[in-house]
Amino acid sequence: MIAHQSLKLDSLYTLFNKDSIRITNFKFYISNFTFLKNGQIVFKEKNSFHLLDLKDTNSFKIHIKSPQNYTQIQFCIGIDSVANSAGAMGGILDPTKGMYWTWQNGYINMKLEGTSSACKTRNNEFVYHIGGYQYPFNSLQSLIFKAVNKQNVTIGIELNKFFSDVNSNTNHTMMSPSLQAVKLAEIFKTIFVIE
Amino acid sequence: MKIKLLLILLIFTGLMSFVAHKDLLFFAPKKWPKPVYNFTNNSLDKTKIKLGRILFYDPILSKNNTISCANCHSPYNAFTHVDHALSHGIGDSIGIRNSPALMNLAWHKSFMWDGAVNHLDMQALSPISHLDEMGETIENVVLKLQQSNGYKRLFYKAYGDSLATGERVLKSISQFMLTLVSSNSKYDSVINMKASFSIQEKKGYTIFLKNCSSCHTEPLFTNLNFENNGLSLDKDLKDYGRIKVTQSAKDSLKFKVPTLRNIEFTYPYMHDGRFKTIGEVLNHYTDGIIHYKTLSQLLQKKIKLNADEKVDLTTFLLTLTDKSFLFNPKFGYLNFRQ
Repeated sequence: MIAHQSLKLDSLYTLFNKDSIRITNFKFYISNFTFLKNGQIVFKEKNSFHLLDLKDTNSFKIHIKSPQNYTQIQFCIGIDSVANSAGAMGGILDPTKGMYWTWQNGYINMKLEGTSSACKTRNNEFVYHIGGYQYPFNSLQSLIFKAVNKQNVTIGIELNKFFSDVNSNTNHTMMSPSLQAVKLAEIFKTIFVIE
Repeated sequence: MKIKLLLILLIFTGLMSFVAHKDLLFFAPKKWPKPVYNFTNNSLDKTKIKLGRILFYDPILSKNNTISCANCHSPYNAFTHVDHALSHGIGDSIGIRNSPALMNLAWHKSFMWDGAVNHLDMQALSPISHLDEMGETIENVVLKLQQSNGYKRLFYKAYGDSLATGERVLKSISQFMLTLVSSNSKYDSVINMKASFSIQEKKGYTIFLKNCSSCHTEPLFTNLNFENNGLSLDKDLKDYGRIKVTQSAKDSLKFKVPTLRNIEFTYPYMHDGRFKTIGEVLNHYTDGIIHYKTLSQLLQKKIKLNADEKVDLTTFLLTLTDKSFLFNPKFGYLNFRQ
């Protein structure tokens, strides 16, 4: 359902603002796929957790069997508080997937790592590990889209927009639940655009 | 004479079923609250408990294969680390906290002194990856286990296939920890009308109920909450406790209330192990409380105890020792060759 486009790991890109940027790691969870018609739920994917990892471009293609009569698709970016408090889980939720904080419990909803000429850090590195599920640091984001083509929905993820909205000169390192992490999660949500 | 023999056989059957009942993998003692742990997601099984027990005692969980869970959680000390105020890990590195005793964990809703861990299954991740403890990653632990024939057999027996995964490792360790129930102290016998306190123990119990039990609540001897118990801030450790997790000023200097069960064996005391004896702890509560802003409401009023009362209270606290827990052969060292 979601196809990644041209973005490749470890390639150098120039942003609109002339910053040159390289992504070395990009992984995030999406969950709780719900299909609606006129605001009413017509279908909910069971056990709806997906880990998208740029290392494996196939992970950006999600197959869901759902009824045809829907007009909107809703899903979350991240892992909800129920799953965050449920103990050890397997599959893509296994803590060996590198998406779980060990020193303070909770899933990392999104990992984005790389270098940018805008970052005045060692080796120009930035690290965004966005997570947190407890009030007031709940970084789970919910998205809803109108469905036009019901067979094949493509959602663009415009990382360009993330880097134009986040000042990576000062805001380059995030690795714990906090209000700032919530803000980053809110920005991250806005880069998902239906094609 | 022959008729009597038949009757004896019937009674013997009754006894058998009683023994079978006692052999349950886990049971909530009478009058205790319902366990918090959700057993439906990880139902106890002998082979999984055994796997968890072997993992608990195996230094393979640490980066250089030198430190096991039991290094800081020794069974003979109610699964804590005696003689060390602060627990130490790989390469003699020293952490900032005193390892807590492990018992009755099925009733706990959060773990660690600051409650940073929300589920028993996830607790082990923290020491495994802490640089001053085991300094390892769960990914690498799983890889090491996948390469071990001994563990392949154990995983096969427990899960029907030989593959070690993060989930299985963590759930197995939980299984073992869940069996660590301490509910057989002299205090428990008294509560269950099978023994009685001495006069001094009884006096001590009365003092306990008046001064201590609102935080160290029966039957777990902890209310499982976070409190500031008036300890001075250690200027070197600068450990502000729960505020690290919640980032809320009201949680500054709050730590989880520890259980008092088996207190005789869990010295030194407090989150940083600053007190070596029960006497020092009692002196703190009567004379050492510092009135920080976040001091527990329950300690606002001065606790007054004379020397005799402190002895009485200590005598009662010693009735919380559970030898059948401390020296239970089912909890001891095990490796996969056994």
